Amino acid sequence: MKILYTLLIALSSFTFFSCSKETSTTQVNVMNSLLTNKNWYLDYSITEAMTSTTPVVFKSYVGQSTYFITYLKNGDTKDSDGITGTYTVELINGESQIHMQLKTSNGNPFEVIYNIISVGESNMVLSKVTTGPATKLYFTTK
Amino acid sequence: MGLANTILYRGLCISILTIFVGSEVHAQTLTKKQQDSAFLLHPGQERIRKIKKSLAKAFVNFTNNDLSLYGSLNLSKQKINDKGITAPINYLYSSLNNNSYEAGFSGGFRMDGMYKEKHPYSFSFGINRIIVGNNYQNIYSLAPFIDDFTHFKADNVFTTLNITAHYKKLLPVNDMNKYKFYAVVGPSFDYKISSISEENLINSAGNKAIINGDFGAEFDNKGYYVLFAHYKYGVNMKSSSVPIQLNRFEIGMSIKTKDLF
Repeated sequence: MKILYTLLIALSSFTFFSCSKETSTTQVNVMNSLLTNKNWYLDYSITEAMTSTTPVVFKSYVGQSTYFITYLKNGDTKDSDGITGTYTVELINGESQIHMQLKTSNGNPFEVIYNIISVGESNMVLSKVTTGPATKLYFTTK
Repeated sequence: MGLANTILYRGLCISILTIFVGSEVHAQTLTKKQQDSAFLLHPGQERIRKIKKSLAKAFVNFTNNDLSLYGSLNLSKQKINDKGITAPINYLYSSLNNNSYEAGFSGGFRMDGMYKEKHPYSFSFGINRIIVGNNYQNIYSLAPFIDDFTHFKADNVFTTLNITAHYKKLLPVNDMNKYKFYAVVGPSFDYKISSISEENLINSAGNKAIINGDFGAEFDNKGYYVLFAHYKYGVNMKSSSVPIQLNRFEIGMSIKTKDLF
């Protein structure tokens, strides 16, 4: 009988160790790995309507498809307009965000925060956090 | 947890090795030192003897045991339901979903015997290298731009330790004194010993334990070897945000160790 209890305890230990090992940084690490060391080309931006009666504004980047932004593994970012700075991916109250501390070509600092709507190997959708109507930015790696 | 797992595996391996080494009996001439040592107390050996005695007592109804080595080919496919994933991550559906059976392999030990001298059974302990095809149940899109993606990328190559207990029913087919055909049924348990990717840990999706229901058929050729074909239907042992159904076909052969060594 004793041996059966031992086997039962061994099986319970297996079950205990079968729990997942997610940590607070798991999701951020995965999003970082998908985001970094690529040129993200802006294909579309969509600005939502101020009111339900105003139509949605589609702003196509046809002719401006050379705009891109790069997030480097060391935490630096730069875009095709010459704006540089640093970024961090953060998870705040369940919302995944990119916080960017940037400098214009004149050296003036400013901060931009994007909500990550979706990020993948080759597609990314961000939403700019502003007080006015939200703008969604659609990127691909081409 | 990772360290605890590593310690657990090492502990298990050492225990298994100890049992095997301890069960070996060599007929050889003892040296003077060994003769002296025979009169001394050996707590380790004593413990192993007690475990053996206890096992024999606990499994007194399990008789006619034959130890075999087995090897098999596995064909596996998993159904993945990623509805519980809330992380804003996309993976292109077309690049992940192949909805096919992929080939892996297994090997290990198997004990065939008789319970209370009338119920044939088999226990097996082995290692599986599972390569699995993926069938994603949910497809998402983000209009007007991203079409057909999933929120989850399941691991499709992993290694498991497997423990199986099968009840065997002798079928009245052919000359049963020569060739025996069995129908088998029973549970099995898989524990992933390969590391789980970070993608698989998001939103508590990671799960290492799989519990299976098995059934199949076996052909015993005069006790020389056994050919078997099993179907295994597995699910996560613990609740997960991504329930996975693992379907496997296992085709293989076992040979008695006393015929091999």
